[in-house]
Amino acid sequence: MSDDPSPTENEAGTTRRRALMLGAVGVSAIVSIRPALAQTNASVMTCEIPVPDAGRAGSAITADGSVVPAGTPGSFAANGRVFKAEDVKRALSGGQLPGTEYDTNRAYMNYIRKLQSGTSGFTCFASLQMPRG
Amino acid sequence: MAGAIFRSARVETLRIDWLDDFTILYHRASGITHLLNAPAPEILATLGEAGMTVSALADALALEFDLPDLETDALLARLNELATAGLVSTT
Repeated sequence: MSDDPSPTENEAGTTRRRALMLGAVGVSAIVSIRPALAQTNASVMTCEIPVPDAGRAGSAITADGSVVPAGTPGSFAANGRVFKAEDVKRALSGGQLPGTEYDTNRAYMNYIRKLQSGTSGFTCFASLQMPRG
Repeated sequence: MAGAIFRSARVETLRIDWLDDFTILYHRASGITHLLNAPAPEILATLGEAGMTVSALADALALEFDLPDLETDALLARLNELATAGLVSTT
């Protein structure tokens, strides 16, 4: 028994490859997917990220960014505060979210970094991280 | 146009994955993802960063893929599409 492809299989592969090239050279071969929010800097910088999302507005945030009931020891009240993308971008590069102390800034930023698809603010945060050429 | 040199985007600006008959190419410089099918990936690979003219590309593809009757006009159209997408530059 051998793992080598038989001559027939080799021929079939070459024929298929040749057919692909011949058939395709005359038709369009590219679809480009552009991140919609990254197209204009303005739309990115004016979007907002609530901490936490509206459905959990009364909750608090722990140091590692988890959402917990208000009053949980060691957590920070957030009260559904809304930060502008511009502020979050600044905080991502070493700055601090407006109106926060060192610990609350770290907790809120950890919450923002953990945002999942479908959570309010996720698209805004994701678009902040997309490179623009 | 016949003497123009076409070059592939620099390899360090590209992240490439293969999905059956498609090639998914993320261009870091533009943040744009491109879905390519034949012959676009073969053209990019053959051009390389050093680049070549359309007639040299036609010769190289003809040799590699055993294509005696490759149309230069069609190839030029594909090159222009790749250039529009930012994946090929020309001088």
